[in-house]
Amino acid sequence: MINSNNKMIVKVPSFIFRIFSVWLRHYQVYTKTIISNGFPPFLEPLILLAGLGLGLGKFVGAIEGVDYVKFLATGIAVTSAMYTAAFECTFGTFLRLDFDNIYDGMLSASITVKDLLLGEIFFAGTKGLFFSSAVLIVLSFFGLIPSFFAFLAPLVGFLTGLMFGALSLFVTSFVTTINHFNFYFTGFLTPMFFFSGIIFPLNSLPKFAAQIAVFFPLTHSVNLIRALCLNKDNPNLFFDLTYIIIFILIFSFLAVWRLGKRIIN
Amino acid sequence: MSEIDLSNYVVQVSGVSKKFKDLKALKELSFSVEKATCLGLLGPNGSGKTTMMKILYGKTLRDNPQVSQVSVFGYDPTTNELEIKYLSGIVPQEDNLDAELSVWQNLVIYSRFYGLSKKDYLPRLNYLLNFMELQPKRDSKIRELSGGMRRRLIIARALINSPRLLILDEPTTGLDPQVRHVIWEKLRLLKKEGVSILLTTHYMEEAFQICDKLIILHKGEKILEGEPNFLIEKNIEKYVLEILNLDHFEKVERKISVPRVEKTGNCYFIYSNDLEKLKQIRDKFSAGDSYLRQSNLEDLFLKITGRQLGD
Repeated sequence: MINSNNKMIVKVPSFIFRIFSVWLRHYQVYTKTIISNGFPPFLEPLILLAGLGLGLGKFVGAIEGVDYVKFLATGIAVTSAMYTAAFECTFGTFLRLDFDNIYDGMLSASITVKDLLLGEIFFAGTKGLFFSSAVLIVLSFFGLIPSFFAFLAPLVGFLTGLMFGALSLFVTSFVTTINHFNFYFTGFLTPMFFFSGIIFPLNSLPKFAAQIAVFFPLTHSVNLIRALCLNKDNPNLFFDLTYIIIFILIFSFLAVWRLGKRIIN
Repeated sequence: MSEIDLSNYVVQVSGVSKKFKDLKALKELSFSVEKATCLGLLGPNGSGKTTMMKILYGKTLRDNPQVSQVSVFGYDPTTNELEIKYLSGIVPQEDNLDAELSVWQNLVIYSRFYGLSKKDYLPRLNYLLNFMELQPKRDSKIRELSGGMRRRLIIARALINSPRLLILDEPTTGLDPQVRHVIWEKLRLLKKEGVSILLTTHYMEEAFQICDKLIILHKGEKILEGEPNFLIEKNIEKYVLEILNLDHFEKVERKISVPRVEKTGNCYFIYSNDLEKLKQIRDKFSAGDSYLRQSNLEDLFLKITGRQLGD
């Protein structure tokens, strides 16, 4: 048990396994109330489609040759991923951090802050995957998805979840009271919902606004999912994917660095 | 250093300091924990006990890690936090059970953090539930548990990976006497099995019951160190007479010379090795106004750290 330096030799679980065990904790808590947790992701797209698609769609007709219902519905698949990841890693994280001492408990086991936060982001990605899948299931039920490649679309939900999980953790690192999240939700996520090509195409915006929209992470998720679900030609797919991956890496790093400093003093 | 057989020491700390903004939480603290013994850190609130505990498992980082030394099983927490946590069970001051999960699920999830497979954790968790007398509560929600049950569950959780060191931060604060005695008994059993224990406490009796060695901390500094009995013998008079009626005392004080006295708002404490002398003083008071007893660790603690509130 003891080597030449008088250190006890131990076999600590691997990095991947540790992240997975954090994920497993969140998964278990989430699925414990799966009926109440699994209900909204299926119901919300139904409400939106009925309200906006059927009602508004009559006036709009087709956008870029696509029925407005289809146009809108595919966008909703990524916004639901965005919102679930954002809620998980703002309010959820803040509660685990400050009120329930959940992180404190986890960090007493052989888990590091980095494992903890990456597990958190990974779970946000998983929720994104689940939420966008739910939307896509509802859509295909109504025959609204013409493309075979739509089966890859939940992966876009996963990436969207990772992006907004990482970004939201970073935002949480600045927050001292839970009310501060209003700035993030109303000041950033809501405008993004309207100006990233979900409700109307970006090329209908004035040029400067369209250029700003390119910086929004959600814009690239929307581009990817439309390409997959609607068979739309998209010459910039590689750029969109690269943007998303770099965004995830940068904000994961920033989140671990900033929140890590807050947890370890 | 080279003369010490490291394998006999589970924890070694030397010259550790920690500053939070303007507050010096720890000043050049040094101590060590021998294998299969219990070391108690005693001190008022804000004396640095918890900070020291957190430094051991990497939850708090010490200042200038190059010049100070912390070794737990030969590992430095600044670089090998994981190994230390893998080998140690940690019981923090605050309740941090997962309120969204049941008793059993809390333990299972925690087993996963250590990488234990179902085959390994099933018998272990059942053993621990029995050991901590929680088997009937196996499927209860955390909210349904009393404070004592939660504490026992947190200790059970800390024992999952069969730790060689237990780090306990005020393990019995706020619990009733029955639970405290059960916990002390379990800790003594663990010590017999070879587990080393480091604990912080306010309870002098707790320190007496389970600690082989004590360190009294005050404002981040070690002011006394030794075996509980020896500390009392060496540092404080054998007997104490508590005077609860102050008005009367002043009349008595004028008539006879009294040994060392400590005063607080409402009471006087007269310390002496001379029991007869104290009896003589006591006889001048009516029964309800005085109380003669052997001095204990609490008296020592108050003598050293002062009677006024620290924070």
